[in-house]
Amino acid sequence: MTDASLSPAAAPRAGLIATDARTRKRNAAEKRFRAYGICAIGVGLLFLVFLFTSILRSGLPAFTQTVIDIEFTVTQEQFDTAEGKMLKTKEYEKLFIAALEGQLQERGLEVAFDGKAIQRLVGKPGGTIRSYLQANPDRLGAPISFELAAASRVDGYLNGRITRDSLVDSRFLQASDLDLIDALQQADIIKGAFNWNFITGTDSGVDNPGGAGLGASVIGSFFMMLVVLFLSLPIGVAASIYLEEFAPKNRWTDLIEVNISNLAAVPSIVFGILGLAVFIQFAGLPQSAPLVGGLVLTLMTLPTIIISTRASLAAVPPSIRDAALGVGASKMQSVFHHVLPLAMPGILTGTIIGLAQALGETAPLLLIGMVGFVAREYPEGFLSGFTDANSAMPAQIYTWASRADPGFYEKAWGGIIILLLFLITMNAIAVVLRRRFERRW
Amino acid sequence: MQDQHIASAFDRDLEAIQAQIMKMGGLVENAIMEAAISLETRDEERAEAVRSADKAIDNLEELINEEAARVIALRAPIAVDLRLVLSVIKVSANLERIGDYAKNLAKRTSVLSQMAPVDDSAGALRRMAKEVERMLKDALDAYVNRDAELAQDVIDRDTEVDQMYNALFREFLTFMMEDPRNITACMHLHFIAKNIERMGDHVTSIAEQVVYLVTGTIPDEARTKADKTSLPA
Amino acid sequence: MNDMRILERDVDTKEVKIAARDVQVYYGTNHAIKDVSVDIEDKTVTAFIGPSGCGKSTFLRCINRMNDTIDVCRVTGDIRIDNQDIYDPRVDPVQLRAKVGMVFQKPNPFPKSIYDNVAYGPRIHGLARNKADLDDIVEKSLRRGAIWDEVKDRLNAPGTGLSGGQQQRLCIARAVATEPEVLLMDEPCSALDPIATAQIEELIDELRQSYSVVIVTHSMQQAARVSQKTAFFHLGNLVEYGETGTIFTNPVDPRTESYITGRIG
Repeated sequence: MTDASLSPAAAPRAGLIATDARTRKRNAAEKRFRAYGICAIGVGLLFLVFLFTSILRSGLPAFTQTVIDIEFTVTQEQFDTAEGKMLKTKEYEKLFIAALEGQLQERGLEVAFDGKAIQRLVGKPGGTIRSYLQANPDRLGAPISFELAAASRVDGYLNGRITRDSLVDSRFLQASDLDLIDALQQADIIKGAFNWNFITGTDSGVDNPGGAGLGASVIGSFFMMLVVLFLSLPIGVAASIYLEEFAPKNRWTDLIEVNISNLAAVPSIVFGILGLAVFIQFAGLPQSAPLVGGLVLTLMTLPTIIISTRASLAAVPPSIRDAALGVGASKMQSVFHHVLPLAMPGILTGTIIGLAQALGETAPLLLIGMVGFVAREYPEGFLSGFTDANSAMPAQIYTWASRADPGFYEKAWGGIIILLLFLITMNAIAVVLRRRFERRW
Repeated sequence: MQDQHIASAFDRDLEAIQAQIMKMGGLVENAIMEAAISLETRDEERAEAVRSADKAIDNLEELINEEAARVIALRAPIAVDLRLVLSVIKVSANLERIGDYAKNLAKRTSVLSQMAPVDDSAGALRRMAKEVERMLKDALDAYVNRDAELAQDVIDRDTEVDQMYNALFREFLTFMMEDPRNITACMHLHFIAKNIERMGDHVTSIAEQVVYLVTGTIPDEARTKADKTSLPA
Repeated sequence: MNDMRILERDVDTKEVKIAARDVQVYYGTNHAIKDVSVDIEDKTVTAFIGPSGCGKSTFLRCINRMNDTIDVCRVTGDIRIDNQDIYDPRVDPVQLRAKVGMVFQKPNPFPKSIYDNVAYGPRIHGLARNKADLDDIVEKSLRRGAIWDEVKDRLNAPGTGLSGGQQQRLCIARAVATEPEVLLMDEPCSALDPIATAQIEELIDELRQSYSVVIVTHSMQQAARVSQKTAFFHLGNLVEYGETGTIFTNPVDPRTESYITGRIG
């Protein structure tokens, strides 16, 4: 046993105090590797910071709206005169201009402007004023405060997107208007306000980026998610439980497993064209409907949910199954009493992550007509929410981004902020659920 | 230290095996006294009974060894338990030897009863046997009670037995020189005396096992040897 | 002679509880158990020993048909409990497992309260008519599992919060709660420290009063300590089966001797 040749050659042994060359080399390699890791994380963080700042910088203006806040009185006499004219709104516009001039003069600001300039700044205020007065005739004769949304070009000038140098005179904005804007700003008539319409409103026409809102498409997304949740969760969980716990291991189940994994990797646009062919062209479901969007996204989410559910079922230690079977529980009792509760946090997390993925999905929606000017109004009731033409958040963002008016560019970024907020909330819920249901075994 | 093992069956095993030792000890004590009395009273029947009773002692020793082997095999005793099992084996061997000496005593009784008695030597032998029997009883008590002090006392008392043997040795020498016809009887009597002295040594050995069991060390051999018959005069 | 033998070692009854004849087990093409025939007695602790992969656990799992859960596993031959063939197609394995309790290698309490752990079996088998009944069963089982005194004040605490030895005793309590007649234990102490092991072994010795206990163990010392009968498995064969004292002092088969003396693994 004590063969001399087995014992190591009697090399001179260095003491513990002095590190030898080999150890130094190894330590240096380790230090280098740590540095690489820190660099990688740093680069990642840098990108993240860059992303967030650019999103916030471009998107936050969408939440503010420049308004012209003016208070003036319309008398019964003026109302009657205006109603007697051919061009009724024109008369109200004149009243508005007069009030504006008056208030500017009051503050000693002399700016020459005409009706055209006003139209460029606030569109056609006469219509708004008239409809307000018609709806509230009792307000005649009393001072009324009007808050009129300014054109997106005005926003652009105020937040620096348009400068005097870059401005090219057009029918949208002219250099002379800028003096008027400056004067109005000094008179505190023009100012910024929080744009609730952006969150609650519906989509607007291509020439009115200021009036565009995401609200209707949020509702569209909500109905889609309802469809996805109530279809994919039960189907996905049932399929996973069967495959993981009950199915015999043979060529058929192997084939199914491989295909489920493959489905998860299929590009979402493929699901979109499938939805178009099957649900709309074959089954005759309405176009642009959240129901169809939800069905398509269900197909897309199912593999995610099945894979994550199976993973969390497989993570339940077999000893728990043995224990249940050992006291005489049936297979189903062991699954439903013990395995499923333990797998629940994983299943819920997987489902929420799948939903979040579906929420952010755009490509399949393009193909079933949920883009374009479709989120024009809120659905009338709960059921029509599924079938009425609507858009979804990402599709709406895509729609805005593809429009010509630069004001919509801002809206697209703003939409992304709202979408990200939803996603962060969902992920936070996933984390909380996992924490709450997680149990040790 | 806790008295009980977590495995109560282990305790029961150890108790059972010690109970067997006590049973064997009782049989041996009885054999010593019965043999000595039969010598004094020249009762051949009684001597015969002692000889046949030795069979039971031998069987018991075999059984104890077997049980000790089982306990070692099945329970893997260590520390105090191991010492206990080892001491059980040694004590049973010692008891068996004492039993054999008693049997030998009874055998010689059958021969001696055919001859004329030599003075009061039988009485002296009985007293010597009585002393050894008392020592054995104390040694076994010490064993049961794990009493090292009593065991040490037993070891010390062996000196008395040795002295009694020395006295008898000289007495028998005198008898033989006085009358050569006494030689056969005296030789037998001397062997009996020697056997009883050997019994004392075995009892001492048992007492030493008690000390070992309690303290974990064997008492040193420096005890005073009073058997000086083997020394050059 | 025999009246002086240490009584603890004796098998109380000679009544056969489990009778196996020519049992063969295949995992796919692997012949895991070959021609095993054995009579396991009632109110006796029977230990299965043998090197890893010798088939002792496999054979144990045949007795309550836990092998049914493995797809590729095939069992032939005849295993009878109380003279009823447990592989008869009319026998429901779920019912069988209520009658043949099992304790596993790793303590595996459900991640529920101590009470629910024990009450689960009686609940699914409908052994309790009402809550009071169930409470009785739980208390009785925990007492049998020799853990009642340690947990009686915290029955609602999670079973997973107990120490390893307590968890294993809880699992034993859970197994006896369904009133089984046979208790199978698959290396019940391999994850426990020596003190917890000794407590479980003492418990097994007590359980022998009421059940036929079959224990698989890697530790030959454990087999020696707790069992009255020992079966030695080697390479899927039952090499030797007999009284534990005999196996450990004077085995008949040279393979047994080599194994228990540490000469073959």
